[in-house]
Amino acid sequence: MASASPPVLQRLRQELFATRVDGLISIALIGFLLAVATALLRWALFQAQWAVIQANSTLFAIGRYPFDQQWRLWLLTSLLAAATGLSWGLLRALPRAGRSGPRWPANDRVAAAALVGLAVLLPQLLQLQQPIQLRWWGITALLLAVRWAAGRWGAALPQAVRRWLPLVWPLLYLLGMVLISGGLGLTSVSPSEWGGLLLTLLEASFAILLCFPLGILLALGRRSELLLLRWGSVLYIEFIRGAPLITLLFLGQNILGFLLPGGLAPDRVWRAAWVLTFFAAAYVAEAVRSGLASLPRGQMEAARSLGLPVHQALIHVVLPQALRVALPATVGQFITLLQDTTLLSLIGLLDLLGTARTVMANPAFLGKNAEVYLVLAVLFWCCCAALGLGSRALETRLNTHHTPAKA
Amino acid sequence: MTSPLMIEARAVEKWYPNGFHALRGAELEVRQGEVVVIMGPSGSGKSTFIRTFNGLEDFQKGSITIDGLSLSNDVRDLEAIRREVGMVFQQFNLFPHLTVLENLTLAPVLVRKRPKAEVERQALELLERVGIHEQAGKYPGQLSGGQQQRVAIARSLCMEPRIMLFDEPTSALDPEMVQEVLTVMRELAEAGMTMVVVTHEVRFARQVASRVVLMADGQVVEQAPPEQFFTNPSHERSRQFLRQIA
Repeated sequence: MASASPPVLQRLRQELFATRVDGLISIALIGFLLAVATALLRWALFQAQWAVIQANSTLFAIGRYPFDQQWRLWLLTSLLAAATGLSWGLLRALPRAGRSGPRWPANDRVAAAALVGLAVLLPQLLQLQQPIQLRWWGITALLLAVRWAAGRWGAALPQAVRRWLPLVWPLLYLLGMVLISGGLGLTSVSPSEWGGLLLTLLEASFAILLCFPLGILLALGRRSELLLLRWGSVLYIEFIRGAPLITLLFLGQNILGFLLPGGLAPDRVWRAAWVLTFFAAAYVAEAVRSGLASLPRGQMEAARSLGLPVHQALIHVVLPQALRVALPATVGQFITLLQDTTLLSLIGLLDLLGTARTVMANPAFLGKNAEVYLVLAVLFWCCCAALGLGSRALETRLNTHHTPAKA
Repeated sequence: MTSPLMIEARAVEKWYPNGFHALRGAELEVRQGEVVVIMGPSGSGKSTFIRTFNGLEDFQKGSITIDGLSLSNDVRDLEAIRREVGMVFQQFNLFPHLTVLENLTLAPVLVRKRPKAEVERQALELLERVGIHEQAGKYPGQLSGGQQQRVAIARSLCMEPRIMLFDEPTSALDPEMVQEVLTVMRELAEAGMTMVVVTHEVRFARQVASRVVLMADGQVVEQAPPEQFFTNPSHERSRQFLRQIA
């Protein structure tokens, strides 16, 4: 088939102008898209005043994080870049058993080129100061260098090292928490000084990480044979799913201080993070439940017949399969969660949207709403697209070999 | 003079939650090394009966003793029994996310806590015995039904059980694959394994079984050596059943 593939023009004609009606629809749509695109471009290039973004880029990125402590965030970003490069490189250097892939597939080259392009272009567009531009270049170079090195020598790593490498991420997350909030000898930075993208990502990642195990437990509870556990899970899931998030956020601000043991929810930022976690867990639970329901009963029976206790049967047989089925819905929930963080601005937190609102309230930038909102939309789209891409990569990696068992 | 009793089921009664009375005083004794084939019309409770032997189905009255251990509500006893009793299902129930080799090694490593290398060696031997050692690295979805069922048998054997239960092991197979599975089961029987087999395969029952058991309406109606059962059954229900499958 590939050999007989017609030239691009011919194919376009086939796809777009196969019949007269098709042709008319195509022409109308192309005209419409062109009109929208030119209008948008004309606005973005000649009318929009991007000074509002340029002047506030730091505010959008990290809020009012104290200037003299910002090195901690730079350090964290560098570490994250290195870890990303490491994972990315190892993914290519160590494909799953029985498969081999090129070390630099076309996708990776495009991604690397895009990273370099962004690193060059963005600081220019944002008119960052020279030293800060240099830092971004350095971080991009670090990421790509580690990616290259891990891809080159990853396969030579001893088995023991390979096995513990995934632990880099949770450790890095904990380290990041320390770097951001202080402690262990670092000056503490109060959560009320976190803001912008930093706060948004922090709240979202905290909730995503915790709602996942919580959701699994709830889903298992809902299918449990223990009456109280089952009813409790059902009650919880249905209550959360029946209440709007914004209500729960306000409710949480008022009661979480009493509900959670001391120190876990000391201020508005943490209370909001817990509410997001508890909220998303109910939805993740439903996704996982559908995954569990998709498994034939025989899987559990076979595992139990082999003498596996329930928890081992769950961990080794049932959950790996159920979670794979539940993965797309779960990631969809994560993406929703990321977008839902914008509600935090309504309870007075300075997340991306909250920061944007304070910026727009500044008399110097009155009437620049369109510029700000467009940038926000693009930022969120980037984050969500990254999550979506990651999940699709995970799906293909988890499901390369096997068709599901016949029921 | 007689070998030890491996399965002893006395007056077993089971009601399903919907009220269906599935087992009505079913009785069975199986001695070590015996191959017992259970036959009977569908709905007679054969599968339910065999599934009570390793606790996949509970029962309300009567008693079942497996290799000296009584089936009770004690989870530890149940898990001890399941370690000694292998089960092969109609639908194979292989773990699709694990390779063939991993399917075999999972339980011995986790449950028996045996070293992985040793279990893998044994698993490969078993796979060779059932004739599919060259597929060890594949996933179950890549195998034919007959191959999958042979892997399932090897998976159970890898736990070194003292009893093997087969719940209609060839009923979900395409006709041309039935024989390869029956051959493996016959070899297992010849090696002295204690087996309880629910099946409709008359030829297998005639050639391999030490005893054929007919179940009807949740009860064991007749037990006899295969020759006698197929040529000269003593009960009307047995004659009726044999007419139906003839």
